[in-house]
Amino acid sequence: MSCTSCGSKTLTREDISGSLICTSCGAVQEFDNYDAQLYGRDGPTGTYVHVGTSGTGSALNYKDKRIYESQKLIDELIFKLDLSGQRSIQIKNMIDKITDGEFGLGDWFPILIGACSYVVMRMDDKSLPIAEVASVLTCDVYELGRMIARVVEFLDLKLPEFDIVGMFERVIRNSRLPGLTRLEGNMLETMRKQGVLLLNCAVKWFLTTGRRPMPVVVAVLVFVAELNGVGVRVEDVAKEVHCTVSTCKKRYKELLEALVKVAQALPWGKDVTVKNVVKSGLFVMSYMEMKSMEKRKEGRQGLDCGGFDLGDLVSECLQKDIECATEGNGVESDAHYFQIEERSILGITEVDHVDKIQLSHECLAMIYTSFANEVDDGKLLEESQEINGSKRREGYELHACREWWCGKSELSKKLLLKKILEKDVGLDTMPPSFVNGCMVNERRRAKINAAKIRIDKIMHPSRADASDSDKVCVSKGVRTGNRKRKLVCEIDWEDFIIETLLLHQVKEEEIETGHYNTLLSLHVFDSGGI
Amino acid sequence: MAEQGGLEGSQPVDLSKHPSGIVPTLQNIVSTVNLDCKLDLKQIALQARNAEYNPKRFAAVIMRIREPKTTALIFASGKMVCTGAKSEQQSKLAARKYARIIQKLGFPAKFKDFKIQNIVGSCDVKFPIRLEGLAYSHGAFSSYEPELFPGLIYRMKQPKIVLLIFVSGKIVITGAKVRDETYTAFENIYPVLTEFRKVQQ
Repeated sequence: MSCTSCGSKTLTREDISGSLICTSCGAVQEFDNYDAQLYGRDGPTGTYVHVGTSGTGSALNYKDKRIYESQKLIDELIFKLDLSGQRSIQIKNMIDKITDGEFGLGDWFPILIGACSYVVMRMDDKSLPIAEVASVLTCDVYELGRMIARVVEFLDLKLPEFDIVGMFERVIRNSRLPGLTRLEGNMLETMRKQGVLLLNCAVKWFLTTGRRPMPVVVAVLVFVAELNGVGVRVEDVAKEVHCTVSTCKKRYKELLEALVKVAQALPWGKDVTVKNVVKSGLFVMSYMEMKSMEKRKEGRQGLDCGGFDLGDLVSECLQKDIECATEGNGVESDAHYFQIEERSILGITEVDHVDKIQLSHECLAMIYTSFANEVDDGKLLEESQEINGSKRREGYELHACREWWCGKSELSKKLLLKKILEKDVGLDTMPPSFVNGCMVNERRRAKINAAKIRIDKIMHPSRADASDSDKVCVSKGVRTGNRKRKLVCEIDWEDFIIETLLLHQVKEEEIETGHYNTLLSLHVFDSGGI
Repeated sequence: MAEQGGLEGSQPVDLSKHPSGIVPTLQNIVSTVNLDCKLDLKQIALQARNAEYNPKRFAAVIMRIREPKTTALIFASGKMVCTGAKSEQQSKLAARKYARIIQKLGFPAKFKDFKIQNIVGSCDVKFPIRLEGLAYSHGAFSSYEPELFPGLIYRMKQPKIVLLIFVSGKIVITGAKVRDETYTAFENIYPVLTEFRKVQQ
């Protein structure tokens, strides 16, 4: 074979391109390096005429390329999600298993990576919010959720319960908000314990059931920060954890409302409102903590009700002291609990008012002063001593009160749901959605009654009583907002529907459920002939 | 709160059939029928006033009637899906009305293989439910992911029904082919729910 340009026989094959080149004139010879390959999913198959640069051996086949690219994507996303090496291996293994070793490229693949990351973390009892994964992947939460559900189903896994406490700890630990990063370690630890206590209470109060957990976490974090004088805004935290600001604000408001309800047990409870509950937040929390610890004691009292032996009680109390002392870190401040316990036991006839005798007189006076005056600790001590008059317990400082709230009760630790439910924190509420449902039902009930009166009035005009005129409309109290102020009561579309349904003999309970369209269709416009 | 006694009104609740005293309300019935003829959807869309057809969006004519208030999806193959009825009879009547409309437009429509495909019911047990506890103890059947959906999804095996259980005590029952499956599913779940009810203290 000779060169087409100069006729020289000095042709050599170039390594990179695989083309024949004449060494004397440098001309590239006509293409002759046909490569018989065809790429299937698993590599080259059949006959393929390959034009281009890749010589055999130097090119990656499609499958290798795909696996390489997908591994690169996995590494990139795992890095963005801030997960460690061990987890990355677990995630890769999981994807390998799901895709049957094929991995993949395409829009679905990052979502699968995100879903596997979430599942691996969740199975490991580590918290990783879906919203965070979705924001890294820049995809929809529900899209990711569907993929997670498919992964869980495919691998036949059982995800452990969502750990809201772990989530809170993660947020407070990893937060990059300037207010929180500046804090010292022990301050952060205190905030963590307070937050965990509040979260446990929030679980108990149904503030988390059936709701997205992250907004509750944000609400608790903001409250705890405010309690400790750390300036953190709801908007900033919400943005950091990819939550809707309005939901976080709503949860924050709900938390405050619940705390206000708890605060009613305090001597100055009537003065506590949503706006100032943060100022007495510490006392509310210490109250809840004491209540939760008291639960055990109450149980014992119940047992002793039959035959009551003071000696036994005292000895049990002493045992309890030891328990508490070993449980808590600050043994010294635990002393207050024991004194209170003794009192409540000695004054056993006052058991009904046990809420009120939880805090000693001196202490209450002090914390009330603190609440009323908002002064610093030193000043407060003097004032409270003046107020007390008698100084039965000298050396009792507000500092000791402040020591109360954390580390001493189990509520500051992660608890199982059962344990949380067993604890009494001085408030037991129903879920907001249930309360709203009851209110709406009540409103409908009032409307039904009003409609019945109206119908009765028309059917029996002689019986119509002038005094009933105000009952003809829905009682104004149940209306909210501007409507409340209207003197003239209105009859709206809902009243007419209720009237129609009543006239068609629909059961009142059914009307109360508020499924008007269904009921109209079944009873009024019933052409189906049931 | 007092449970629904059902003693007032026109029809008292049959306690032998509904021991809980609560009868789920049927909210939606989905049925299918085969009109057994090829249809020109464009022609239907042009001729019928109550029809909309956008082949780019969805490959079926969407037709609505007022009485019974329902919506139908009519496909070129002659298959039809009827949704929105509140009872089985209403669903069948509506499907017949749609078939009649198609006939009047000049197609030789029949009424073959009418079948109820899904029944959705709902009710209120009137007490709050600890979804976390239910999810934990009935893990094999339940899925509760508050990050994704506020309710607990309970996949009952017998009858094969899906229930959405909400903390407020409201329940949605779906997946039944006959009304009784909905009722049985609710009667099966009710004792479980009472186990996880939140007691007012």
